[in-house]
Amino acid sequence: MAMNHTIRQRGSAKLGCLMVGGAVLLVALMAVLVFVGRYNSLVARQEKTEAAWSEIDNQYKRRYDLIPQLVATVKGAANFEKSTLEAVTEARASVGRAQLPPGLPSDPAQLQNYVQAQQGLGASLGRLFVVVERYPELKANQNFLSLQDQLEGTENRIAVARRDYIDSVRGFNTYVRSFPANLIAGMYGFEKLPQMQFDEAERELPKVEFDFGKDS
Amino acid sequence: MSVRLTIARFTLFGLLALACATVSPAQQPIPKNDGWVTDLGDFLTPQQESALEALMESYRAGSGHEVALLTVPDLGGRALENYTLEVSRSWGLGQKDSNNGALLFLTRAERKIRIEVGRGLEGNLTDSISGRIIRNVIAPEFKRGRHYEGLRDGIQAIHAAAGGDYAKIPQRRGRRAGGIRLMPIIFMIWLFSSMFRRRGRGRGRGGGLMTGLLLGSMMSRGGRGGLSSGGFGGGGGFSGGGASGGW
Repeated sequence: MAMNHTIRQRGSAKLGCLMVGGAVLLVALMAVLVFVGRYNSLVARQEKTEAAWSEIDNQYKRRYDLIPQLVATVKGAANFEKSTLEAVTEARASVGRAQLPPGLPSDPAQLQNYVQAQQGLGASLGRLFVVVERYPELKANQNFLSLQDQLEGTENRIAVARRDYIDSVRGFNTYVRSFPANLIAGMYGFEKLPQMQFDEAERELPKVEFDFGKDS
Repeated sequence: MSVRLTIARFTLFGLLALACATVSPAQQPIPKNDGWVTDLGDFLTPQQESALEALMESYRAGSGHEVALLTVPDLGGRALENYTLEVSRSWGLGQKDSNNGALLFLTRAERKIRIEVGRGLEGNLTDSISGRIIRNVIAPEFKRGRHYEGLRDGIQAIHAAAGGDYAKIPQRRGRRAGGIRLMPIIFMIWLFSSMFRRRGRGRGRGGGLMTGLLLGSMMSRGGRGGLSSGGFGGGGGFSGGGASGGW
């Protein structure tokens, strides 16, 4: 009877040990799983943000490359307003000076500088297309119309890409700062990304009437 | 009790229907698509709509590209480009991995036209071709009030630019088409059942069950041809390509 009792006790102690060990193992396993999941999720989010950024970059580049053709075509039109064209050329040059290093932008001031230059270019182009309305010769030129379609398409793609990028940076930054992920982010050097800032108003093409005093 | 319940249900349905009818598509976030042609702006007669529907279904069958048409009475103050992008993304136009979809969009009140092009078609249906289709194909017809001609020619031009062929529309409710497809399946069933029979008599019933299952799954499949439950390929990869114009 007594022996039987001790055996049972020993058995239950063994069982207890086993259970505690199992629980510890289970918790450790779960922690590892959570860790792996968060880490992979961080990587995926960063990849997504990088893809969104390269989309913006591509579209900005496309616009940059289309402008010389546009300037050449518009120049061909009889006495097209010089100041408008010069503004576009100048804005393009300042975009050329504000290039960012490759990869995701990490310096907020640099990014802001870049965005401002790009927006200046967009605004000067918008002004050019407003002025063009006064040149029926250009409005009937197939080459010009095609360039206008391409630039407007690019402009729209830029707007879409910017929106997507901003959303994905917001998602990434929220994730990097939220609880279990922030530890992993700190360990592996994932950092908050600078958000892109621009005025919604500038997205619309300017609908202002310009009074340049053009002598007719 | 049950009578009262039914009445309550009916009034609920009625209210829902009324709510759906009074909310104009501009206020609705995204209109529901109704096949390839969703003519909320009322540019087409039912016959014209089904003619376009057949044209577009045949194009999808031949090329795999998904080109849809949406017209609305007005934009309700939204920006054209934002609206068409939202619609094309949420409809999931184009196949999932290739995003080969496009949307032709018209709004009646603002007299605006837009072709929204999915990433997979941007190489063929470029911005400048889209712009040309709007300016030279659709807008001139619309200026003369010839809506159907404008839409038909515009859609054909989009098809031509995007590439690919038209094809016969497969299994469109016709029993003959279904019959042809049934042949290999019947052969398979015969093969299966003969195999089961050879293995032993106990399985004889299993063969029957198998046949029933196969037949059942075929019946449920053959109900609708083309767009099932109004869904597209689920791509929706649009990045703002295309062109806008007006008439």
